[in-house]
Amino acid sequence: MIQTNELTRIFRAEEVETTALNKVNINIEQGEFVAIMGPSGCGKSTLLNILGLLDTPTNGVFNFFNENVAGYSERQRARLRKKNIGFVFQNFNLIDQFTVFENVELPLIYLGLSAKERKTRVEAALEKMQMTHRRKHYPSQLSGGQQQRVAIARAVVSDPKFILADEPTGNLDSAHGDEVMNLLGELNQAGTTIIMVTHSQRDAEYAQRVIMLFDGQVISEKLSSEKSN
Amino acid sequence: MFKNYIISAIRNITKSPFYAFLNIAGLTIGMATFIFILIYVADEISYDKHNTNYSRIHRLESDFTIGSKHDKFAIVPIPMGPALQLEFPEIESIVRFRGIDNTLIIYNDKEYYEDNFYYTDSTIFDVFSCELLVGDLKNSLVEPNTAVLTQKIASKYFGKENAIGKVISTGSGRQYKVTAVIQNQPENSHLKYDALLSASTLAKEVGEEEFNSMEPNRFWNIGVYTYVMINKNSSIQSIHDKFPDFYDKYMKSLGDQFNASFELMTTPLSEIHLNSDLASDLPTGNKAYVYIFSIVAIFILLLAAINYMNMATAQSSNRSREVGMRKVMGAEKQQLIGQFLSESVLLAIIANLLALLVVYMFLPDFNGLTGKALSYSLILEPEFLGLIFAVSVFIGLVSGSYPSFYLSSFMPLNVLKGITTSSGKPNLLLRRGLVVIQFFIAIVMIIGTFVVSDQIDYLKSKDLGFEKENLIVMELQDSAFRSKVEVFKEALLQNPTIENVSNSTGVPGDVSWIQVMLVEQESEMKEFAIILAQCDYDFPSLLGLNFITGRDFDKKMGTDDTAAVIINETAARQFGWIDNPIGKKILYGMELDRSGGRSMKVIGMVEDFHFNSLHNKVEPIILFISQVPRFFVTARIKDGKKATALEHIEKCWHETGADRPFNYTMITELQEEMYEGEEKISTIFLIISVLTVFIALLGLFGLSSFTAEQRTKEIGIRKVNGATLFDILILLYKEFFWLILISFVLAVPIAYWRLSIWLETSFMYHTEIHWLSIMLAGISAMVIGLLTISFHVVKVASSDPVEAIKYE
Ligand SMILES: Nc1ncnc2c1ncn2[C@@H]1O[C@H](COP(=O)(O)OP(=O)(O)OP(=O)(O)O)[C@@H](O)[C@H]1O
Ligand SMILES: [Mg+2]
Repeated sequence: MIQTNELTRIFRAEEVETTALNKVNINIEQGEFVAIMGPSGCGKSTLLNILGLLDTPTNGVFNFFNENVAGYSERQRARLRKKNIGFVFQNFNLIDQFTVFENVELPLIYLGLSAKERKTRVEAALEKMQMTHRRKHYPSQLSGGQQQRVAIARAVVSDPKFILADEPTGNLDSAHGDEVMNLLGELNQAGTTIIMVTHSQRDAEYAQRVIMLFDGQVISEKLSSEKSN
Repeated sequence: MFKNYIISAIRNITKSPFYAFLNIAGLTIGMATFIFILIYVADEISYDKHNTNYSRIHRLESDFTIGSKHDKFAIVPIPMGPALQLEFPEIESIVRFRGIDNTLIIYNDKEYYEDNFYYTDSTIFDVFSCELLVGDLKNSLVEPNTAVLTQKIASKYFGKENAIGKVISTGSGRQYKVTAVIQNQPENSHLKYDALLSASTLAKEVGEEEFNSMEPNRFWNIGVYTYVMINKNSSIQSIHDKFPDFYDKYMKSLGDQFNASFELMTTPLSEIHLNSDLASDLPTGNKAYVYIFSIVAIFILLLAAINYMNMATAQSSNRSREVGMRKVMGAEKQQLIGQFLSESVLLAIIANLLALLVVYMFLPDFNGLTGKALSYSLILEPEFLGLIFAVSVFIGLVSGSYPSFYLSSFMPLNVLKGITTSSGKPNLLLRRGLVVIQFFIAIVMIIGTFVVSDQIDYLKSKDLGFEKENLIVMELQDSAFRSKVEVFKEALLQNPTIENVSNSTGVPGDVSWIQVMLVEQESEMKEFAIILAQCDYDFPSLLGLNFITGRDFDKKMGTDDTAAVIINETAARQFGWIDNPIGKKILYGMELDRSGGRSMKVIGMVEDFHFNSLHNKVEPIILFISQVPRFFVTARIKDGKKATALEHIEKCWHETGADRPFNYTMITELQEEMYEGEEKISTIFLIISVLTVFIALLGLFGLSSFTAEQRTKEIGIRKVNGATLFDILILLYKEFFWLILISFVLAVPIAYWRLSIWLETSFMYHTEIHWLSIMLAGISAMVIGLLTISFHVVKVASSDPVEAIKYE
């Protein structure tokens, strides 16, 4: 489903060049739950952004459903993105001035669904995350864990092929973190592909496979301890 | 999708209501001012267009050259219209108007002085569109001694009674039977008559033959407003083309004797109001103001739009997460641009509705200010509303343009990293640029206001060459009363509050008698058209004219009442006598063959005095004593004794036998009337500049609050590192100080240039543009600008540094 070949990302900022990704080759199949780990600054987020079509590689091949999207324009990427990918962030990134319902509804708006269709889908997503009773609330009225559940509802509402999560538990205490990880696990059980960046060994255990990055390079790929056999 | 945009827009308004308020208030004031100016301009250019045939109607005008004097009049000789119609088949119809000023009209016990009554040909109803209320227009004004009244006059004299068949009379005893009542003239007519009297009345009085005579001498007297309506398929140009032949036939023989020539000029009816600049014209508008206000209207809209741009971009940090997330969700740039544009258009439309409300509320004040009588119906016209709506959408698009491009270009990656304050350098530069533009406009307006008011002060305080204070003018319309004027004068002087009295044919502010005279030149007598005032012995001393050389009229000389003339300096200069005017000859009232007339010698030369408004330059004027009917009696009263003096004058007025109501004006009032237009403009200018400055300040206030917010952390760190409160204040004020200074430096040359043109084209005599006014404008802009930002500056500067650093 996702496959990269010598994927390289170089940041150039006034004289300084940072090679954030250096010839990365990875391959992720449908239905997988993959964790990406590594020290700070090793390029995890950079990789995730490229996989999420938010950023383009400087070099290399990025096959997205067998289509090399490495050179795609912003507009082409936006179109692929909205149909296929859901995002979950460390800092939730809910829009403060929107209610829970409106936040979850947002991706559907750009898919051009009817108001009725949107309503059913949002209700279903909130139901799944057990946030239906909070639908009229604003993000600031929710706890961190609740906010992240809303963010996950938003990520899944458009029924994406896979979900990208960048340190989804980074801002949560362990109880809420576990809750979020369980939800992601359930989604994966139901067939959604999940790619997650994390610093936490605990979280990584939910994944079937762990990709270790160091200085922009993949240094190891191993099956997660729990699911190894 | 649209619903979501609206939700987003509304949530943003409710999230920071204060900035939304600043934004909408700015737009509303801008739009309201724009609408007011729009209706003002629309009214100014709509003059006379209510006449169905306006495009075929032209006013005939005269351009006389007599000797070296060149004069253009809004009126033409009495037979000009009929003669042209006789010669040119292009003319379908003509109509003439002769106004009678300040005339007593009587019906039973009702007596009023009327100004806007006109003798008119019965063809008026073929040419101009009038709405008949009662009676019959077809045969109206044909018979002598008939009248057509407007609704206003009919109800003034007859109340609710039927006016048809009623007879009104003038103070001199002429009677007129009312045959029709018509709707009042629309305010936007250049010739606003209140009633029409049949011109055939005059024909009957002077004799049909005499009145309709087309002898050459009848073409060399100036006379009546004349309008021609040309055929559908003809053009006025063909009349101009053929006019030389007409001149040869009707006018040349006599013109050559006079050393005079005549050009026919015409102005299309709908252009008279804004384009006329002729002697003897009715009050007209001023094209310059229409231009200036149109530009100002656009300026104001621009200001409001800039405000919006400024605040919307300054607020962008509040929106960056929304933008980023929308992009992550797959929103394309165009969709986001669309979103922000619809938001600004929505706000502009809200502001527009509020502006219409404001206009609705302030329309009466606006009318009072401009002297117009615009009604609500004008605003409610669908075309007008459509236009206003289109403008508000346009303004919405313009104001939303920059913010939407700016906001929609946020990179989602930044948002993911949690970078939400993303005001880069170029954006700051642009916002500063916008503040500079706003203050530039505001300062230009402030300088304009100061200069206009300086000019008005100048007009009011300029030494006019005579003593204008404490002069009371009365008009003697009644010939019986006029014959007793000496008795009246004596009676007036009995009271110590009356210092001097004189009887004359003109007074400063109301001298309109011009006549051709023969003036002594090197070898012969030559024709000059000269302004004159005929008077009694006391006139020069009454006005307090300053003699440069020679003497005043003197009874003891014995011959001053028949052979003496006093001239002004300009006359002496123009006749080439400036070194030695005394004893030079002027021949007045001669026949066409130069025989007869009255030969006068110059006995004195006075300093130029302004008998016209300061819009015009002083022309040659001569004063001499004669016994022609002299309508004006002017009295100089003791300073501060106006009430007692008036009481006495009124008593004498009635005792000497005037059976008309007592009526007077002060010379100073006549003077002020001349500058009413400028006074109005000055007030309007003042109001517009206040609004302009206010909008600019709203913008500045909003901007400073954002700058303050953004710099809170920086200021905190500076403080921790030892910066004093004073250092911080300097730091914060400095930026805005420079911005306002730059605006000022840009504004001065533009304002100076534009205002010099205005002063030079509108006034023969005008003030200089004082540097003090300019500096004052700059300083006031600076002071109020810096005061406006002080609120936030002081707040930030005095904030607790520890708090400020924790902020992030
Ligand atoms: N926009 C950018 N411009 C310049 N350099 C960048 C940019 N984004 C990332 N980098 C650099 O690329 C490298 C990888 O950054 P990245 O954010 O992918 O690290 P990370 O593994 O996600 O770190 P962390 O665990 O702290 O989130 C870093 O050295 C970083 O400084
Ligand atoms: Mg990261």
